[in-house]
Amino acid sequence: MLRHIAGRVGQAIVTTFGVLTLVFFLMRLSGDPTLLLVPQGASAHQIAILRHQLGFDRPLIVQYVAYLRQLLQGNLGMSLVQRMPVASILGSRIPYTTELAAGSLVVAVGIGIPAGVAMAVWRGSLLERSLAALVFAGQSMPTFWSGILMILLFGVVLGWLPTSGVAGLPSLIMPSIALGALSMASFARMTRIAVLDELSRDYVAAARARGLSLGAAVVRHVARNAAIPVVTVAALEIGNLLAGAVIVETVFAWPGIGQLAIQAIAARDFLVVQAIVLFVSFVFIVMNLLADVVYAVIDPRIRLSS
Amino acid sequence: MGIMKTAFLAAAITTIGIAGLIGAPAPALAAPKTKLTVDLPNDVATMDPQLQWDTDSYSVYRNIFDNLVTRNTSGKIVGQVASSWHYKSPTEIVFTIRNDIRFQDGSKLTPADVVYSVERITNPAFKSPQLSQFDEITSAAVTGPNEVTLTTKSPYPVLLAQLVKLSIVPKAYIEKVGNTQFNLHPIGSGPYKLADWQHGVRSVLTATPGYWGGKPPFEKVVFRVVPQDATRVADLRAGVADIVRQITPDDAKSLQSDHAVKVLAVPTERVGYLFVNAQWGPTKDVRVRRAIAMAIDRKGLISALLGGYAKPVNVVLTPASFGYPTGIKPWPYDPQKAAALIKAAGAEGARLPFLTSPAYPQNIIQAIQQMLDQVGLKVVIHQMDQASYLRDRQGTPQEAGSLAFGLWSCACQDADGTIWPLFHTGSIWSKYSNLAFDKAVDAARSTLDAKARMADYHTAFEILHRDVPGVGLYQADAIYGARDQLQWTPTPNEAFFIMDMKWK
Amino acid sequence: MNGRFTPGIAAILGLLAIYVFVAVLAPWIVPHNPLRQILLLRLRPPLTYSPSAGWFLLGTDDVGRDLLSRVVDGARASLMVGALSVSVSLLSGTVFGLLAGWFRGWIAIVVMRIVDIVLSIPAILLAVLTVAVLGPSFANLILVLGLTRWPRYTRVAYAQTLQVATLPYIRAAEMAGARAPRILLRHILPNIAGPLMVVATTEFGLMILFEAGLSFLGLGIQPPYPSWGSIMSEGQNYVASAWWMTVFPGICLFGVVLCVNLLGDWLRDRLDPRAQSR
Repeated sequence: MLRHIAGRVGQAIVTTFGVLTLVFFLMRLSGDPTLLLVPQGASAHQIAILRHQLGFDRPLIVQYVAYLRQLLQGNLGMSLVQRMPVASILGSRIPYTTELAAGSLVVAVGIGIPAGVAMAVWRGSLLERSLAALVFAGQSMPTFWSGILMILLFGVVLGWLPTSGVAGLPSLIMPSIALGALSMASFARMTRIAVLDELSRDYVAAARARGLSLGAAVVRHVARNAAIPVVTVAALEIGNLLAGAVIVETVFAWPGIGQLAIQAIAARDFLVVQAIVLFVSFVFIVMNLLADVVYAVIDPRIRLSS
Repeated sequence: MGIMKTAFLAAAITTIGIAGLIGAPAPALAAPKTKLTVDLPNDVATMDPQLQWDTDSYSVYRNIFDNLVTRNTSGKIVGQVASSWHYKSPTEIVFTIRNDIRFQDGSKLTPADVVYSVERITNPAFKSPQLSQFDEITSAAVTGPNEVTLTTKSPYPVLLAQLVKLSIVPKAYIEKVGNTQFNLHPIGSGPYKLADWQHGVRSVLTATPGYWGGKPPFEKVVFRVVPQDATRVADLRAGVADIVRQITPDDAKSLQSDHAVKVLAVPTERVGYLFVNAQWGPTKDVRVRRAIAMAIDRKGLISALLGGYAKPVNVVLTPASFGYPTGIKPWPYDPQKAAALIKAAGAEGARLPFLTSPAYPQNIIQAIQQMLDQVGLKVVIHQMDQASYLRDRQGTPQEAGSLAFGLWSCACQDADGTIWPLFHTGSIWSKYSNLAFDKAVDAARSTLDAKARMADYHTAFEILHRDVPGVGLYQADAIYGARDQLQWTPTPNEAFFIMDMKWK
Repeated sequence: MNGRFTPGIAAILGLLAIYVFVAVLAPWIVPHNPLRQILLLRLRPPLTYSPSAGWFLLGTDDVGRDLLSRVVDGARASLMVGALSVSVSLLSGTVFGLLAGWFRGWIAIVVMRIVDIVLSIPAILLAVLTVAVLGPSFANLILVLGLTRWPRYTRVAYAQTLQVATLPYIRAAEMAGARAPRILLRHILPNIAGPLMVVATTEFGLMILFEAGLSFLGLGIQPPYPSWGSIMSEGQNYVASAWWMTVFPGICLFGVVLCVNLLGDWLRDRLDPRAQSR
């Protein structure tokens, strides 16, 4: 078990390092922020001076080594555009991102899992089809469209919810629905298959033969075993919920790291982009590790080494 | 099939329903009298006024800091921290500094702070992106009890216009806390001070009691960051925001039916123009460039796509800037003649790469494309992100493509800040070289004689008219949406002075 | 949706066939040139008639182009983006997965680490970055989508290959002297094709949405050519004032994505013997 965890951590370090390197070189190949920083009338000479001061005229490999060295000291660096520590920029956005991720997970799980169970239990019925339509509908609309429609309806016409920004729980509702709708289908689908799978097993048939109702059978036996694949989906979806929220965050003016990432890429604020990717891949890896552990807790039959 | 039908119907009914309902006016909210909420498209990049000057940052920090000089609502340069000034020699200008200004920490603003502000921004080690606007200044010195003298390399007529952008920062405070802390917790001498700055979310300013320039009109001003155009408009209609910056002409039109809000627009010094590459490809031939100038229907563009929120210009400059020539007529809109010229140049069907980025209005670019295609060219749009666009546009003549649309403002309201960088030989923007033009704009840059400068610019614009390295299209309006009760007159340099606003 | 060939699934397949049919025939069935602008007729509602230009059944867009023609023509771009990018990632992902699953050892370690790396970078960020480096074009768009999505196929192909490779008849073929490429193509690939097809169908819908997202960020199909995503992103500022610009392409996009999702689910049920045992 310990050896397994050590192996996984080793893999995680390799992955993180790979992510870092890939993004570093992709970013540098895409240019640098000097041209975006100078006023329109600046001359080639003035631009060259600023570029030199910012250090972007050094060979790529030198910049890369310097970055790694700085990172090893636990320093994420200074944003060249905002002129403040990257750690504090990222730190100020993480709470909002966490709120939105949690909110949309609640939506996705809260609708997706019951829908999935219902779809399995009442298989082939009209109910299954209606639920399937609802769940897939959420996944079939571009979020920039559904987002603006919600803003207009609930924000402007009805005036029930704030149109944008962060102001407590009410402002979290619409972005959570827009984002949660995307992963709702994954949860419903996994749950449905898992429950169908369990329902077909002998022990359920035996329990039902003993006179246990279908509902009770689901609650008592099936839920526990069906939880495993659902946890996997949750771990996989976290990455999407964190920085895949780019468009939802832009539409709702939600200050999470998705919006920050897209702005930082546009501004070629390298260190901010690198820090975000580092953070997201770290969370992604940790979540997958946790999912492993959760399996073991839910189902002791699964050994961690398998 | 039940699934699909239900889903389709639900989607269609909801969307059409919402669209229909939106026509109904939003409930008018009682105007808060002491708080103003502003939606900006971008976050403040830096609160340090000497590090960034993009319009959004400027909209916020300009209310925290006073500048050496400023422009009044009619666009004239007037004193702010400086009460008056005079030229001692063509390269020396002496400013008298007001002695009744205090920074928000209570300390007095002195001539030493002014000198420090100039030296700080012009010090290469400080890495200010604004350095290029002030690097003509060679020295700043305290030369009397309330006097500061600036010396320039050579006579520099645009100095005052550039100094409009110089914010005065507190020397003692910055030296005590350092640049990073100053950026996070700035202290200025302006009507508002920074109370709270949540990056990417909002900046909150509160009124400075006893501001030397009068009583600020609101106790509290909240600047929110809302990137999406449609969301800003929704915020305004729902009463979440009192004033929103940068809305589209079409949104402006649709806001007119809502009586709770109004549109505030002003012609700015920003010129919409078409860059035409004179050093590469089919447009190397001046006939093709002239044909392009004749193929574009400016008035059609403005009335159809800009809803009248723009005015046609004759050259690549707006009348809001010094040097706008009178008496130069643009090439007439004449597609037949343009097509004939292109035929004569043997450029029928020539492929013209048209560089652009999402920062520019897409419908204008596509309309221009069609206008040029109709006279026999084949325009190919290359849309990329802003950083890549700038890299290519400022690259070699070959990288810069044949055409590009731009919205240019030097924030100095002077021809020097526009046609010099755009068309002078060797400038990164210029894909054009004409020594007579260079001579004229160089001369206009190094004399303080306004009449001589006007004459030089007239010569320069006549050359540009003949050679067509660019086509002036329109003077763009800055468009704001505001609650009906808010009174404010926006200015051509897109300044956002809270001091000039008030509730009705 | 229980894996049997029901009227429902026939209808879905029928609808998808209509989409493909329209997309292929687009150049011949559009009522107007989808690129032709009439600035004086911009933002006209559906069922507009102009004496000089004729009927605009779905109205016009913000530069006065016929929306119906653009939506029909846009079907081509959107479906092409879906089909081509899925092909690119399906092909490369499967090849890597097969190789990793068959040879195992260091090849598997390297491939699966690269899979982890690409998967742990949010796809939209990777796409935006790659477009910034490569520059925008239709080919690059396909490449970018392919590059960011192949690991999903690799994971499936790898796991399936590992399982299948241990089956007795594969071992037998190996003993009989069959060479690796032959075994992989003839014996293993047919066995793992099902699960891969399931991934491919859902990815197809996602790719169409992904292109719409990139269009929203200004990095999708190059203007003035239409895709459903680019029409909708041009219409995003007119959701209230000119609803037709987003509603019609939105419904088409919605329909296709819904169809392929339902199809994918049906395929999954068909392929998974346990799920249909009840």
